[in-house]
Amino acid sequence: MALFELDRSQYPEAKADGSLDIDLASGKYLKLWQGPQHPGITGNMSVELTVCGDEVVEGRTHVGYLHRGFEKLMERRTFIQCFPIVCRICVPEPDFNEYCYAAAVEELAGLEVPERAHWIRTLILEMGRINSYMMYLGGQAGSFGMGVIGQWATYVRDLMLDRFEEMTGARIYHMFILPGGVRDGLPEGFAVRMEETLREVERALKDINDVMYCNAVFKKRTVGVGVITPEMIEPYGVTGPNARAAGVAKDVRKDQPYLVYPELDFEPVTGSVSDIYTRADVRRRDVHVSIDLIRQILQKMPKDGPVMTRLPNVLNWKIPEGETYIRGECSRGEYGYYLVTDGSGYPRRVNVRGPSYTHAMALLEKLIVNANISDVAGLMVSLHTYPPEIER
Amino acid sequence: MTVQDVLSPFTAWKNLFRDPVTVRDPLTERPGAARYRGFHKNDVAECIGCGTCEAICQNAAIDMVPVDGIETKEGDSGLRPQIDYGRCCWCALCVDVCMTGSLTMSNEYTWIDSDPDAFRFVPGVDHKSWDDAELGYHRPDGHRLTPPERIVMREMDPERRIGNFEEIVDGYSVEEARAEAERCVACGLCVATCPAHMSIPDYIATIREGDYEAGLKLLYETNPFSQVCGRVCTHKCETVCAVHHEGDPIAIRWLKRHITDQVDRDRYVDIIGRPAGETGHKVAVVGAGPAGLTAAFDLARMGHAVTVFEARKHAGGMTRYGIPEYRLPYDALDADVDVIRAMGVDIKCDTPIGDKVTMTGLEKDFDTVLVAIGLHLGRSTRIPGSDHPKVAKAVDLLRAITDGETIDVPKTAVVIGGGNVAMDIARSLARLQKQIHGEVGMTVTALEDFSHFLADPEEVKESFEEGIEIFDARGPREVLVDEVGNVTGLKTWKVVSIFDDKGRFAPTYDEGDERIHVGTMVIEAIGQAADVALLGEALTEKLEWNRGRITVDADGRTSEPWLWAAGDCVNGPDVVHAVADGHRVAASMDAVLKAKELS
Amino acid sequence: MPEGRGYQRLKPLTNLQDILDVATEFERTARDFYKDLVPKVSKNIRYLVEELAEEEQEHFDLFADLARRDDLGDLVRHEIERPASDRKFSDCVHLPDLGENPDDQAVLQYALMREHAAMEQYTALAERTPPGPVHDLFLFLANEETKHKNELEAIYYEIVHSGGV
Repeated sequence: MALFELDRSQYPEAKADGSLDIDLASGKYLKLWQGPQHPGITGNMSVELTVCGDEVVEGRTHVGYLHRGFEKLMERRTFIQCFPIVCRICVPEPDFNEYCYAAAVEELAGLEVPERAHWIRTLILEMGRINSYMMYLGGQAGSFGMGVIGQWATYVRDLMLDRFEEMTGARIYHMFILPGGVRDGLPEGFAVRMEETLREVERALKDINDVMYCNAVFKKRTVGVGVITPEMIEPYGVTGPNARAAGVAKDVRKDQPYLVYPELDFEPVTGSVSDIYTRADVRRRDVHVSIDLIRQILQKMPKDGPVMTRLPNVLNWKIPEGETYIRGECSRGEYGYYLVTDGSGYPRRVNVRGPSYTHAMALLEKLIVNANISDVAGLMVSLHTYPPEIER
Repeated sequence: MTVQDVLSPFTAWKNLFRDPVTVRDPLTERPGAARYRGFHKNDVAECIGCGTCEAICQNAAIDMVPVDGIETKEGDSGLRPQIDYGRCCWCALCVDVCMTGSLTMSNEYTWIDSDPDAFRFVPGVDHKSWDDAELGYHRPDGHRLTPPERIVMREMDPERRIGNFEEIVDGYSVEEARAEAERCVACGLCVATCPAHMSIPDYIATIREGDYEAGLKLLYETNPFSQVCGRVCTHKCETVCAVHHEGDPIAIRWLKRHITDQVDRDRYVDIIGRPAGETGHKVAVVGAGPAGLTAAFDLARMGHAVTVFEARKHAGGMTRYGIPEYRLPYDALDADVDVIRAMGVDIKCDTPIGDKVTMTGLEKDFDTVLVAIGLHLGRSTRIPGSDHPKVAKAVDLLRAITDGETIDVPKTAVVIGGGNVAMDIARSLARLQKQIHGEVGMTVTALEDFSHFLADPEEVKESFEEGIEIFDARGPREVLVDEVGNVTGLKTWKVVSIFDDKGRFAPTYDEGDERIHVGTMVIEAIGQAADVALLGEALTEKLEWNRGRITVDADGRTSEPWLWAAGDCVNGPDVVHAVADGHRVAASMDAVLKAKELS
Repeated sequence: MPEGRGYQRLKPLTNLQDILDVATEFERTARDFYKDLVPKVSKNIRYLVEELAEEEQEHFDLFADLARRDDLGDLVRHEIERPASDRKFSDCVHLPDLGENPDDQAVLQYALMREHAAMEQYTALAERTPPGPVHDLFLFLANEETKHKNELEAIYYEIVHSGGV
């Protein structure tokens, strides 16, 4: 597979610091600025491309357009006041922030979360995973000019948002998983409506499969492009579908089970060669796994019991000195919260580990070399990255 | 790549035959879900303006603002939350934390206005179309961000406490106090209600911090009777506590006591601070009760030379002679009095006004004089038989018990009255009966029915626990005396209703429902009066009076420029009111004395 | 003492005006009694005696005004349709000897008993009079005295039964 080998023979040697000695005045090279707004990314991020003809010689990523300083803000917010903030760290899949933050606080504060809350949290995370994948599918198809997939995906995502709305009281920022449990139980008749929604998702997935995955154009543009080799997984910190597509069955839900995953029956989806196509395929199959998990959860979860533990007075809440790292498998890989407390009423330090941090920067810079300019957007989407979680 | 891959994408065309999935008119066809966190609603009649919503809002979207037509009153700041939708993130923490449950959300989510300022509004006051929306987010049952239950105060069980006068309540441990202090939301409604305006949330915060010395300093800034009030205060603060609306109020009184318990008594004066330099002014105070001694404490700290004249053997007034030891141990009171003495106050006990010391003499020898003589005369029902020697007044008996006098403890006795004094004497005598006769034989008859009882509910509960019989809604008719002249009991009539049509206290009796309560002694505990005779006829005649009480201005000054009056004798019975009075008088006297210096 | 001195004086009267004159005379006597008492009590409770004198004055004025009206009979009939009920409380309070320097409670007890006696007296008169204008007038007077007595009872409670701390 010579195609996967980088052919740098015609370009200048890299200098000691890794940068290339490019002579722009020669007219052979062109600097091209892609972004910060462009179809390759959900949010804002730029890639500074050096191209030779239509081939990328070098790509430098530029992030920071979405920096809102959440981690620092949280150092000046009480533990309960951080709760409405965290979901905003990652817009398309906010619930992981709520879960990780809540679990970190619970561990350090010694709170016992009621059983039913664990089930509801798992349900929410799987619903969020489907939504995140739907957004990805639209983007991935769109980056290759297939606009209709985005409309279909947005429609089923909207149906799932309806389920979110009736359960949590909000569509995007649910603010439902808070330290100690979840706000409320499931509304009356939720399982029935959820089943209808899941069927719609399945129907849409079938259509998308016919139109996108079984599409000669899509295959031609994606197979063998932007390959992540198994050797790259560790050094580049690749997780989630990006890694699983390469046959590395990394899945936090299995590796370090949390919430009620040990009680659910599922296998991580893997592929053989992590190119754009396989990564897309792994994600499509992952949606089916999530659909199955949601059905299992609704069937197995306790029907009543408390969903919230007794909190101390949150206005005077102090958490003993300690630190912890809570991780979970989000749609893009390993999501984690590192929380340090110092015995005061405020977090001493919060660090959010979003999988996009490694995928969108170091990994992209590696994969982008030798890519065709027209494939750059598709390559970026295939890594499924969200800039807001890069710049917390 | 197969032929299938070329043909398959064309299946997208089948969607031409599908019905559209869009909602045509979302503004009317798509209401928010039942739990939707839409625009805020506030039941302004339920809202108490505690500002907890403002405190929890991480976006500072909420400001507490005054509102026309809502007055500041006890337990209600008069402010209402104004929400800025330019800042709000609809997290609903304000709804979750709301202490009364008045703040909720509707399921309405569309609002169009050309004026950006319109989106900063006071829910419930600025009327909106969604004010009556039934759907929307309400705090779910059991979802609380503040613990509603009070940390239980451990106390001696009835069997153990009935035979002695030891203090009933144990006091909180450090852990218990901290847990209770954690519950405070620091709204400050209590500060406004406390007559002495003690800085309650601040001293509760010192318990959370474990900084008891700072707490003690705060306490004595506003209340030199902190140990006393930490035990027997009427704690109006707790009745207005924000937590009270959907839970138990913070145990403010016990937390105050906890601070005083935690600091070594030798450290008190150092922490409170020494008095200012001498001013050369002399002040006399008549009566060493909470009002008189508080004024003395303040004035001494300001550098004035204060002499207190007390008729009884010991200082403390009603807190010593009215409140039984099991509620307020004498050493706690002594400790407070010692602090006051340490400020340089000269307390002369056993020095009644009358023979040796007269008001005329005080007027001559001192720059200013304060009368704080309390309510030490017991009222009598004056029903037939009430002049019998075996009919006593509660205040007199309580004083005798405090002074350690031997009293003839009857095997059975009947108390007339339903206030705390009635409970105090009943429970004190019950203890003596247990000690002397081995069993309790106390009956209490009260005019009020239990739903309108004057005594604190815990007094009633504990009295029952101690084996005291309480008959509510009984009006005293006659003290029964047998042929040989011994008291045999009390005859009462049923009280049918206790208020007249104007809501005034005026019982109606049913003479058909008569009852005899057996007892060889009857104790009257119906009310008290001030012993104003000590003022002398001339001064009584000179002074202005208001319905039996000395007329005073807002600062406690009487119509005579050299004389102030404070405490129970002008404002009715209450320890912490007396303390507040003392502060007011001290400030007023100090201003007058300073003005004298200038002239 | 429903059949005391007042009873004997009022019993033979059959003319409304005459009855009212006697009743007014009673109020005047009472008013003068309290007015005379004012200087005898200590200044701190003088307000009470002054108020009692004022109350009697009000009754005096009311009865005097009534006596001058032509529609007296109708007025009286209208009033007695709203009778004040006796609360029986004064039965428990006994007539004290006011003596030289009475206290507030003694003054109140005395006043209560006066009103109580007046109420009983007018009631007894009404009972012994056949239905008609005279009967109605006695009922009216009894009702007035009952109202007055109830007023005093409320004050009595305010002052004496402060309930204890």
